[in-house]
Order: sequence, then structure tokens, then C-alpha cells
Amino acid sequence: MAACITRALAPVQRVLGHNLTGKTQCLESLLDPARRCPPPTLVQTRTKKRHFIPPSVGAKHKTFSEQESKAKAAGVVVRQQYMERVINITCTAGIFDPYIPPEGDARLSTLSKEGLRQRTEQLKQSAGSQLAVRKIKDHDPDFNTKGFPARAQEIFIEAHANLTSFNKENLHNLVTERCYPEMVRGNRYKTLRWSFLESLEPPRVVHVRCPDMVSKGNLYGQVTVRMHSKQTLAIYDRFRRLMYGSEAVPRDVLEYVVFERHLVSPYSRWRMHGKIVPAWAPPKDPIIKTIMIPGPQLKPWEEFEESNYEVPKPKAVQWHK
Amino acid sequence: MAASCAVGLGVSLARGLVRYAEASRLLAPCRVLPQSCIHTTTALEGNKNWERKNRVLHQPQPPEETRRAAEVFHCRRQIKYSKDKMWYLAKMIRGMTIEQAIAQLEFNDKKGAAIIKEVLLEAQEMAVKSHNVEYKSNLYVAESFSGKGQYLKRIRIHGRGMFGIMDKVYCHYFVKLVEGVAPTEEPRTGFDQAKEYVQQLRNRTIIHSL
Repeated sequence: MAACITRALAPVQRVLGHNLTGKTQCLESLLDPARRCPPPTLVQTRTKKRHFIPPSVGAKHKTFSEQESKAKAAGVVVRQQYMERVINITCTAGIFDPYIPPEGDARLSTLSKEGLRQRTEQLKQSAGSQLAVRKIKDHDPDFNTKGFPARAQEIFIEAHANLTSFNKENLHNLVTERCYPEMVRGNRYKTLRWSFLESLEPPRVVHVRCPDMVSKGNLYGQVTVRMHSKQTLAIYDRFRRLMYGSEAVPRDVLEYVVFERHLVSPYSRWRMHGKIVPAWAPPKDPIIKTIMIPGPQLKPWEEFEESNYEVPKPKAVQWHK
Repeated sequence: MAASCAVGLGVSLARGLVRYAEASRLLAPCRVLPQSCIHTTTALEGNKNWERKNRVLHQPQPPEETRRAAEVFHCRRQIKYSKDKMWYLAKMIRGMTIEQAIAQLEFNDKKGAAIIKEVLLEAQEMAVKSHNVEYKSNLYVAESFSGKGQYLKRIRIHGRGMFGIMDKVYCHYFVKLVEGVAPTEEPRTGFDQAKEYVQQLRNRTIIHSL
């Protein structure tokens, strides 16, 4: 019986080490006179046997580096675990080398001196664009500056129509990931009513650039299209009250819309990427509700003098959205 | 016989332990949790319906109707105060304009008054920023009430080895602000009540009569 126990306990002892209860040690010393342990003092021990001893209790090498070295020595190979996540970059983060629209673009006719000067400046700018057009045609042979603006306007109209109906799938196909949050943010509980009445001038490609991101061959094409059109816009808030604009009154809108495509990928499409707002653009209509502009910070002894205070105006800078 | 079986079991168990030890040390545990839950709130979280009321898109109004008034719902959860004590303050500000309510709470000595004032100011700011309310003082308190929060239980020791379970009380406070002027209710006089009573008597139907 005792011999069976020792035989049974041998593998356990091998794995878990020799730090078992004093009882078995006593037994061993009794059975194996060669050991000649000193006679044990009376040690209080648990008599209830612990049936399950988790393997981590008797583990010899606790730290991960020790375990690793033991495993290597034993010849166990663990394949290198790649903590990677694939990210697809399908659009650039902004507009590279943005087009600077000449001042008074829609207001001067080509026949006046100012208009001629504008046209010559535009031709000069187009040298860089020609190079970019050639690069785009390498990757996309169907591209040409004559046919593209019509397609661009179609994309523009479709994108805005899907924004009003808030059709996410179609919107992602028509608009890049950079442009999507700018169009959609804050609009979840708002109702947008937008209509494109007519185009006052035929849309025109004014600027083309081909930047590359991350690695050298990874080309993206950015094309700026100038659109002069009549549109109506009305925004309603959560309670269906008019916040901005009106449905009945159309407005003439001159826009410089940037379209982008990831040229290297064969599955990419031309999508709306952003808009350029020139520095000389007329200010937009104010929203219907009145807003409080915070006044100057006054000390307790000061009084607010209306005549000295001017409402700060925003700087006239070109920005792209 | 039984002993030898037990010993045999012991040996196999020991071998199993060895294998388990080796395996668990080397392989990193990775489990894929299923994500098909419909009910995702647990009992401990409580229901958050009041916050959801701010995310409702209303139906379009026909043009003849008056412009719909903006409503803002706000609440604060798990306030360390009693719901019964909070009720007195909530009842006090019902129907007041927001400026009036804030003024009253500012000079009230109760602990809950400071908390309700904070909640009202937060709600006012929210209304102007995200809910298209034009004038921040054009709001009135339409609904205001307190509810029971989740209590913590503690032991209160009495004499003679007796104990009681002490509740550490928490409450929630809910408020609804509406844009515009508060509707005034005409006070019901005794004469009105008498008229209603007589009308009720006249409305009775006598069944099984000739």
C-alpha cells in the first residue's frame, strides 16, 4: 500500500517538485532508510487532501523570460506572433498644393483687361497640371479634361442627393473617407433639403495634381473642378424647424470641388474629396437664430463701453473643406 | 482493489497535470467571444430611457401648425441624496422659468439644491449648443422629478448582537426643459368644482328604467 502510494506519487513529485506536505516527506523518510532525515518535530498539517493542485503552484520558472528560455532549450518552437492589423489607405488626408482661385473669378468677363490677365495666369498655372494629367493618363487611359467635368458634376449631384436621404453605402462610394465626416458630422438628427436647379456655366477642370503617399509609387490623383450653379438648401433641426436657408430662394454658387482617385488600384473610383473656399468668397448667410458673441473680459471696476468695442471679424484666408 | 484503482487514477491525473502544465505555459490563450447579444444592458446598469429622449427626430409639421417648441431632457444618476428629500426641491421648481428656478435653488440651504442647480445649468447649455434653442432664458421647467438609484447595503450594529441592514441611499434626478413661456393653469375655484359635480350627476345613465 505504501509502496503503491510512492509509485503513484512519483510523477507528481517529478512535476511539482518536492515541496509537498510534511506527511509524505515523513513517509518517505520512513520507507527509505538511506535518506536518514532527522526525526521530524510535530508539525500541524492539514489532513484533508487537496485534490486539485493547479500546475502553476509548483511551477519552477515563474517569469516569462525563464519559461521562454526553458522552452527554447527543450526545443519547442513557438512561431512568431504578428500583432498586425492591415489598414487600407484609400484616400489622402488633405488637398496637396491647393488651387488658388483668382480673385473676382465669376464676376469679371473675359473681354476686360482684368479678365485677360486672369486667363493668362490660369494658363501659367496649368503647366504643373499638364504633367499631372499625363501621369493620370498612364494609369487611367479613359481620363480626359473634356469629358471629366460632366462626370464630376454627376458625382457631385448624386453625393448631395444621397446626403439628404442619408444613404451611407452610396455616400461612401461617391465620397472619400476624408470628406465623409465633414459632410455628415452633426447631421444625424437634422433634415437637409437640397436641390440642384441648373448649372450656370459648364464645369471646367482648373487644377490637377498627383501626390504620392507613404511610398513613392503610391499615386493619388486630385482634380479640381470649377462649378458655377444654382442651388437651394434648407436645413431643419430635430424639431423640424428651419435652421438655415430656404427652399424657395435659389442661390448662385461658385465652387471649386476636388475629386480624388487612388490611381494605382484598379478598383478605385473618382470620388469627391473636398472643396476649396477662396479668401475672397462672399460671406455666407447667417443662421436664423440669434447667437451671443462673448464680449471682452472685464475687470470688476471696468464698464463696458459700446463705442470702443469692435466685434472681431474672421481673417480672410483661403481654406479647404 | 479500490486502492489500486485510486492509485491508477492518481497516476493518470498526474500525467494529465504534466501535459496541461506544459501546454498552458507555452500557448497564449486566445478566445473569440460571440457577439450576438440582443439585450446588452445588465440588471446592474438600469435603464437609460431619459437620455434617449434627446435623440428623437420628430415628424415634419404641416405648415398651418405653430412652430414646435424645443424640448431638452437631462438627468443626473446616482446622486448621494435621498429621493424623498430630493422630491421637495423637484416639486418646488416645477413650472418655474429656468432663471427663476436657478435663483431659488442658489439660495436654498439643502444639499440637493446645489446639485439640481448644476443639472439645470448643464441642461441650459446643452439646449443652446446642440438643440437649436435661441434664447437661453426662454426655457421653463416642464417636468422635474426624482427617482430611486441603486442602493449600497451596509450592516448597522445594534445592541445584544442584533444588526440591521443599512441602505446607503442614492437617487436620480430628471428634468425636462421646454422652450417658450410656461402654460398658466387657472386656479379651480369652489364654484368650478361644484359645477363639475353637478354635471357628473347629470351625466349618469339610469338603467332598467321605464
